[in-house]
Amino acid sequence: MKTTKFLAATAVLAMSATMALADGPNIFVIGGKPDDPFWSRVKLGAEHAGLVAEMHGGSVTWLGPQNYDNLGPDAAELIRQAIDQGADAIVGPDWVPEAMDPAFEAVVAAGIPLVIYNAGGIEAADRLGAMNYVGAVDYKSGEAAGIYLAEAGHTNGACVNTLPGAANIEAFCSGFNDGMAASGGTGSVLQLPATAFGDSTAVAQAVRAHLLQNPDITALFAIGDQDTNASISGIQQAGKTGSVHVCGMNFNDSILANIQAGTQDCAIDQQGYQQGFFATAILINNVQYGTTIPTREILTGPGIIDASNVELVIAGVQAGAR
Amino acid sequence: MDLISGLLRRPAAASVLSLIGVLAFYVLFAGADIGKLAGAASWVNYAARIGIVALPVGLLMISGEIDISIGAMIPAGAMTTAIISGYYEMPIVFGMIGAIAIGLIVGTINGILAVRTNVPTLIITLATLVGMQGVVLAGSKLLTGTASVPLTAPEWAKTLFGDLMFGGSHQVLILWWAGLAVVFWFFLHQSRFGNWIYAMGGDKESARNAGIPVDRMTILLFILTATAASFVGMCNAIQFNSAQVSGGMNDIFNIIVSVVVGGVLLTGGFGSVTGVFVGALTFAIVNKGIDFTAIDRNWSNLIIGIMLLAAVAMNESFRNLAMRAAPSKRRKAKPEGPDGSIVVSSDSITSKK
Repeated sequence: MKTTKFLAATAVLAMSATMALADGPNIFVIGGKPDDPFWSRVKLGAEHAGLVAEMHGGSVTWLGPQNYDNLGPDAAELIRQAIDQGADAIVGPDWVPEAMDPAFEAVVAAGIPLVIYNAGGIEAADRLGAMNYVGAVDYKSGEAAGIYLAEAGHTNGACVNTLPGAANIEAFCSGFNDGMAASGGTGSVLQLPATAFGDSTAVAQAVRAHLLQNPDITALFAIGDQDTNASISGIQQAGKTGSVHVCGMNFNDSILANIQAGTQDCAIDQQGYQQGFFATAILINNVQYGTTIPTREILTGPGIIDASNVELVIAGVQAGAR
Repeated sequence: MDLISGLLRRPAAASVLSLIGVLAFYVLFAGADIGKLAGAASWVNYAARIGIVALPVGLLMISGEIDISIGAMIPAGAMTTAIISGYYEMPIVFGMIGAIAIGLIVGTINGILAVRTNVPTLIITLATLVGMQGVVLAGSKLLTGTASVPLTAPEWAKTLFGDLMFGGSHQVLILWWAGLAVVFWFFLHQSRFGNWIYAMGGDKESARNAGIPVDRMTILLFILTATAASFVGMCNAIQFNSAQVSGGMNDIFNIIVSVVVGGVLLTGGFGSVTGVFVGALTFAIVNKGIDFTAIDRNWSNLIIGIMLLAAVAMNESFRNLAMRAAPSKRRKAKPEGPDGSIVVSSDSITSKK
């Protein structure tokens, strides 16, 4: 029967995978979609740290939502799922505190070591009783972009928010607006429905329309690398290449090429690889040896990549360090 | 032997077998720990979320229509609750009434447009889907200034609609799903309305000529789908103390796929509540169970696609089996529809008329 063939094909595929949940430290990492360029780097960092777990006979398991439509509740469910799956330690981002905090509290109540990373800051870690926070401070990342663009003379800026409601994205935008204001500019927010995140066409069209309606805007701040590329495309479609300047969160090869080509002014790097790597490594060592990191709030950003250091960063990418 | 072949011909048989197949695959080939999987809440919670909406959507699809505006109605229900009772701090009852009311309104609009125009309901509900996404985002920005609204529900509301049961991770929504499944089972399989729905899915014109109030039934079914979706949204807002604007695009596909896995024909006229119930369960296990296996997450969507295809292929072959076997021997008197579709399934021949 055809059905049997399907099942056989999938079985072969699955057999090649390794078995999970061995004796050593089993760390569960909650994060974004694996096909999100930024999160794939966080995942790689976590997996590289996981080599140490495997050395001890343990494992690192990545749990991510299929999409970002229902981000807070979906992530909260993944946290509870990690508890159910018998995690020795859990790494998670505090994206939507109202929805996710009860799940994190359940982790701590179950006596499972917890590290908050990527979003929430040390405040979230303290509030929830987590061991540490590993990540960039969202507000400062946005602020750095605002100051950078305003000091370069582009004083009317808009933050392109494609994930309304996520606490870290709101912080990017308010930081950007304050950074603009601190350097004598003005900032605003272009709000898109949550479905727009990762949908380059929708973001580009919204940016194009917004720029044509608001000709005074000379600076944009995008909250992710896909959105940055979409915003650049929107600027191009509005016929404003060169007069509207872009900074964006995160980077990948195409962002670096943008900076080399001059279509993008700067990228704010929160160094996702480091977030996945250190958050996971802290917990592996804690479960295996009981060690702790007394330094609280391990910052991985913001770092600014622009024309002055882009060559160095590209060398770092080729060496596998970024 | 006769008992077994009789069971196999029921519309729910294929979906039950797909469920067993999926479980066997995960446990035997992908290294899932059956104990951990059975004890975990994530997939049951997810099954309840899509299952509550899948029940009325299944009935609607049996009647030959479709509703994709459900995707927007889940966040609409959540946002209505959170704006009324969270932002304006009115008693939670008003937020709940508001959420149900928005389901009633949009469902009525869908239903009236469906019976008054010749536009396919896929297009009508596509319009209300996109329209409601706009209403929810614009309304939220206008009223609250943000796209995410926190909500603190009182204890009794949490216990009833949005709490975890027995100190574990299972949501109370699961009980609602089970309860509603029983109600829908009576509605479709034990009341005359059920036969009407099958008849509508077989041939709308003949159903109308036979005296079935096709228009009123269609409007009722659209109200049920929209209200079920806004109800799930409301429970979610109460459970997770917040609501956010979102498109809900993924929910549309997941709900309709689980209905199809449950053995309902996209063309209408065939399906059962048991099948839809098991379909939601199967889809949830396919979707969430992959996290319990050793399969690399990068492969997960491929596996989900293949397993769904296998489940639907199984449905197809079992339905053919049922079609070939059922009418000839035991159900001699029951006519087929004009296009060869069976208007009356074996499950529906229970009304005593």
